[in-house]
Amino acid sequence: MALGVALLWQSATVVAAVPATRARAAGASVIAEGRSAFRTNCAPCHGLAARGGGRGPDLTSGNWAHGGSDAEIFRTITRGVPGTEMPANALDDSEVRAIIAFLRSQAPPAHPAIGGDPARGRQLFEGSANCATCHMVDGRGGRLGPDLSRVGAARSVAYLVESIREPDKELTAGATDPNNHYGLPQPYDTVTVVTTAGERVVGIARNEDTYSLQLLAVDQSLRCFLKKDLREVVHERKSLMPAYPETALSASQLNDVLAYLVTLGRERRMAAGDRP
Amino acid sequence: MKRFCLMLLALASSSVHAQVTFERIVGAAGEPQNWLTYSGRYAGWRHSDLRGIDAGNVSRLSMQWAFQVADLGQFETTPLVVDGILYGTGQNDRAFAIDARTGRAIWRYQRHLPDKVQPCCGAVNRGFAILGDRLFMATLDAHVIALDTRTGNLLWDVTAADYRQAYSFTVAPLAVKNAVIVGVSGGEFGVRGFIDAYDATSGRRLWRFDTVPAPGQPGHETWAGDSWKSGGAPAWITGAYDPELNLLYWPTGNPSPSNYGGDRGGDNLYSNSMLALDPDTGKLKWYFQFTPHDLYDYDATQVPVLVDAVWEGRPRKLLVQANRNGFLYVLDRSDGSFLSAKPFGHVTWATSIDAHGRPVPNTALKSGPDGTRVCPGAAGLTNWYSPSFDPATRLLYVATSDECDVFTSAPQRYRAGHDFLGSIYVPDPQQRPTGALKAIDALTGEQKWSFPYHTNPNGGALSTAGGVVFAGDSDGNFIALDAATGRDLWHVQLGAAIYSTAVTYELDGRQYVAIAAGSGLFAFALPQP
Repeated sequence: MALGVALLWQSATVVAAVPATRARAAGASVIAEGRSAFRTNCAPCHGLAARGGGRGPDLTSGNWAHGGSDAEIFRTITRGVPGTEMPANALDDSEVRAIIAFLRSQAPPAHPAIGGDPARGRQLFEGSANCATCHMVDGRGGRLGPDLSRVGAARSVAYLVESIREPDKELTAGATDPNNHYGLPQPYDTVTVVTTAGERVVGIARNEDTYSLQLLAVDQSLRCFLKKDLREVVHERKSLMPAYPETALSASQLNDVLAYLVTLGRERRMAAGDRP
Repeated sequence: MKRFCLMLLALASSSVHAQVTFERIVGAAGEPQNWLTYSGRYAGWRHSDLRGIDAGNVSRLSMQWAFQVADLGQFETTPLVVDGILYGTGQNDRAFAIDARTGRAIWRYQRHLPDKVQPCCGAVNRGFAILGDRLFMATLDAHVIALDTRTGNLLWDVTAADYRQAYSFTVAPLAVKNAVIVGVSGGEFGVRGFIDAYDATSGRRLWRFDTVPAPGQPGHETWAGDSWKSGGAPAWITGAYDPELNLLYWPTGNPSPSNYGGDRGGDNLYSNSMLALDPDTGKLKWYFQFTPHDLYDYDATQVPVLVDAVWEGRPRKLLVQANRNGFLYVLDRSDGSFLSAKPFGHVTWATSIDAHGRPVPNTALKSGPDGTRVCPGAAGLTNWYSPSFDPATRLLYVATSDECDVFTSAPQRYRAGHDFLGSIYVPDPQQRPTGALKAIDALTGEQKWSFPYHTNPNGGALSTAGGVVFAGDSDGNFIALDAATGRDLWHVQLGAAIYSTAVTYELDGRQYVAIAAGSGLFAFALPQP
């Protein structure tokens, strides 16, 4: 195979039949078949365990931004979601049903009820916690970190907690490699360059090749360098985001922020024109 | 008067449409102004004796023309160039002939494809073969067609296999004598692979070699149960040919399903093998299997390079292949004897290759809850993109990918026309894949130099007698390197990942280098004197 199975979903046609029944407890063999089909067709974006990847949301969180009934998930898989990276997939009905059975078998991860106040969380996000300095929500905020406008629909609470408390643990990947739509997303790692003139600039690489580097610097300016003009380019596998231990964000403040974040993206489910 | 006569002669010669005979392709090295077959010559070298562009002047290259194929996706063609006309294929089975001096189109062809063709990895085509005044193309809907060189008119069209069963072609055919030889794609869908030969004149099928033996055929015992029926072993890269031995060398790809071997116990012949076939009959002369019972998608579909050299004190006819599994193999191409295998990068799936050429599996590979980390990853240490071989330095130039993948494995029920992979692999999340262009001694495997790529590549290498190696990276750079040292001499950004390998030709005494990128074909030359 020339490239990778990530490309298998390129050829896509719409499957018309939509099963109306809600899935019942599926047998182990159907779930196994669904897991296999999921890994082949969905895992490149949604992750091997369906907990979200660089491009696709967590499908085990219990949040279904485009509808959580079997018929709605079936439609999402077979028709895709216009305006997003979710393509239509030319799969057999039985294969789609097996994938749904597999997803149903992945119970939402257990986590304590959040219990926070989303309004207070938003105040923290946009205020003293400084989240909005780097993260954008619905067009407001900074640009250095991932846009969080849909993060409530895309990520589990456990993932959000980890990202806030231990941002270096798993680096988020950017949405799309600008070189190649089917390429691997660039990670949000930390890049430091030192110019031959001695200037030191830290930021996120928006793009890079053998000869040049396009950096979004921590002051959120775009800086484009030729590598021949650089004395040093260092990638560090750590996030530019500071960790928020309890001393920086108390447990109740964390719950407030989480309560706010989980609302993000969910309201789109009801928005008109979100479906074909 | 003499000048006038010369002009008349020149006019006459430019209007004469010379036939590309088999003999011309055999002697292709003697007409370096043309590019007559996929690898430039039958020996698979992708090396040109042109020396107009050299290490001293290559930095002055500039674009002479650009041609837009007007389609999206990976543009993988190796164009052919014959007496000033360039013939190429494009995405979705487009094709074209253009004036190699100006880039102006002479004709365009677009195959009307059915809705559900199933190429695994893009609607690509890697190029034509030419013979006489005909061009031959193998299509995504598993047909083989012949087009007229001067008009692009369809001359014949034969069905090789059923595209609804996920058979397809992406390969550039190889023309040998009066036969057009093709190998099928579809290893991701559980096809049963084959190599076909068609009569260039009529399109009649001359022979078929099934790469997965049927009951009663030798090798069938290497497949458990009915697994042979969906065993894969496609043959989707153009082989090489030795006119003296009259042997065709054609590599094969992965067994299906690629990542699960539980239902296909055995070595799974002739997957991941080099086949030596009689081009007149399709009969197997010998085979060598690089990766028996493969679990990591290590297709052997890399261009074989035929080298005559002294090996351990005696002259031998050798076949060299930098294999996707990470080892550089040297075989005796007269009988398939195994001579050596050396890793040319980071390899963990096998600890070594034994004296018979069989890999020694690495029993220390660690499996975790999310799978098994294996190097090289499924994309291989190298892949289908062409290597080049410079006979003067005996160096093989190979684009390599430095990526390890985490493999998972699961049983999967075969359904005709469906993907059949047995689970999936993902890149090791802790390591960003990179790559390199490496210069390796073709016989000893010793690395002479390595030019780092930021991203793992999808384009190969072209070497020239001018001492320059041309290569394209996945970041869109078309690069010229010093063949002896790997020194970076020149590059240009073409705006899209390069999924092809350059060719070179000469016209009006000027050497051109052409490369496909994005939806464009670009030609470069030195400034007019």
